[in-house]
Amino acid sequence: MNKSLPMTDHLQASTDIGVRRTLARWDGESQRIRSPVLRYGFSVVSVAIGLGLALTFQYYQFRDVEVPILALSIALTTWYAGVGPAALAIVLSTAGFDYFFAEPIYSFSVSSKDLPYFLVFLAWGLIVASFSAVRRRIEDSLRQARDHLQVELEQRKHREDEIRKLNQELVRQAAELEASNKELESFAYSVSHDLRAPLRHVVGYSELLQKQASSLLDDKSRRYMQTILESSKRMGNLIDDLLGFSRIGRAETKKTAVNLEQLIRQVVAELGQETSGRDIAWKIGALPVCYGDRSMLKVVLVNLVSNAVKFTRMRAPAEIEIGCADGKENQVEVFVRDNGAGFDMQYANKLFGVFQRLHRSEEFEGTGIGLATAQRIIHRHGGKIRAEGAVDQGATFYFSLPKAYDGSEKTAGNIR
Amino acid sequence: MNTLGRILMVEDDPRDVELTMTALEEYNLANEVVVTRDGKEALDYLYCRGEFTSRSNDNPAVMLLDLKLPKIDGLEVLQQIRSDDRLKMIPVVVLTSSHEEKDMIRSYQLGVNAYVVKPVDFHEFVNAVKELGVFWAVINQPPPGSIKKVP
Repeated sequence: MNKSLPMTDHLQASTDIGVRRTLARWDGESQRIRSPVLRYGFSVVSVAIGLGLALTFQYYQFRDVEVPILALSIALTTWYAGVGPAALAIVLSTAGFDYFFAEPIYSFSVSSKDLPYFLVFLAWGLIVASFSAVRRRIEDSLRQARDHLQVELEQRKHREDEIRKLNQELVRQAAELEASNKELESFAYSVSHDLRAPLRHVVGYSELLQKQASSLLDDKSRRYMQTILESSKRMGNLIDDLLGFSRIGRAETKKTAVNLEQLIRQVVAELGQETSGRDIAWKIGALPVCYGDRSMLKVVLVNLVSNAVKFTRMRAPAEIEIGCADGKENQVEVFVRDNGAGFDMQYANKLFGVFQRLHRSEEFEGTGIGLATAQRIIHRHGGKIRAEGAVDQGATFYFSLPKAYDGSEKTAGNIR
Repeated sequence: MNTLGRILMVEDDPRDVELTMTALEEYNLANEVVVTRDGKEALDYLYCRGEFTSRSNDNPAVMLLDLKLPKIDGLEVLQQIRSDDRLKMIPVVVLTSSHEEKDMIRSYQLGVNAYVVKPVDFHEFVNAVKELGVFWAVINQPPPGSIKKVP
């Protein structure tokens, strides 16, 4: 994923530039005057032009046009220059109206006859200004909303581009993953087929040689022969275990609700051959229903339970307890506890490694793949597996799994 | 002793041939074994062509087929046999090193009669070959048109 980071940065930068450019374009569109000198100047000039026009009309005997002309001046000022200049325009045009158009003319006093006319003008100016101001405010907020939407739209477009690119990257990586999976599969296939054949020949011809020449060989040579055979068999087992382990990683998981209690009883019953003649006190508690691949989970249980059986070989009675620990909300935690050989917690992290063993093979047989397989299965289910133990005091293995959605509160007994 | 059917073995590895023959000899089943060393040779035998032009025109009682073969592999041979009316009744036993699920599924889909993974342990191997030989060449009644002679 590191590869995609510079791309994201680049996209982010181009998004910012695009948005800034858009905002600049809209600022030019609003046509507002920014400098205060110009704003107040606009006010004075527009009132002066209004008065000039009104006087010109009056000179040519057009009467009573001064009110709309001055109102227009006020409206324009409000619109382009804002509230302060608008107030100035009202004051100036009122003064101009009073001086040029209200009796007595060319004086700032108003006769009682023209007073209503003057007041009407003043009110008219105020109304026009306030309407303009309100309209301006509404337009402003509309424009702001539009700007906001445009910016958001542009950002979304960029984000969509980014998502599309990431998606393409993901598709590419999925294809790569599939290719490497295929490669792994063909690798496992050739291991399965090609590695086993020569091994079979080693075993076969050693057997034939033993049969043919056994009477001619001394004890030492016979022991060598025996060692060749045993080692070949061991190698066969290791190859099989490794293949099984790799198959677990490649196989698709078919998840359903799995009744763990039923499954554990089945596993214990199937281990009958290993447990016959042994004194084992089984204690199987109520286990919940979980969500997972039944055959894979069976492999986990077989590994854990047969380990418990194996490592309690020297105990009479051996005690093996399987139960449910308090898991987290959506998880079930199952434990398998024994009173067997146990292990040193110092090496706990080695327990789950492939072909890692904590006991010598003369003490306890096995290749060391069981717990690695169990861990891989549990991890593929999104769970965790861990172990606790002490030398000669037994071991406890815990694993967690997601609860079955429809059986979260049921115990195994309820749905049997 | 019952009559003995002819076994057609398709196996490219001479060591496997020798080990299998040893196992069959141990139980006097090796007299009627024809060994072909790849898929093409096996088909030549079945169709009586190439070096087998002069053989009598009848089918083996059983075919022991390895999967990984030079030129034409075992699954292709099996497919060819099952799609030909003259050959499709021949009992075919896959005898292979592979216990990949993929191979088993494909073999059974193509109509194999048995699928046997060669055991690594020699005693088990001898046992498996013996049982196969006894069952298919002696006990089983092959389809009409197969070679079968009184030993």
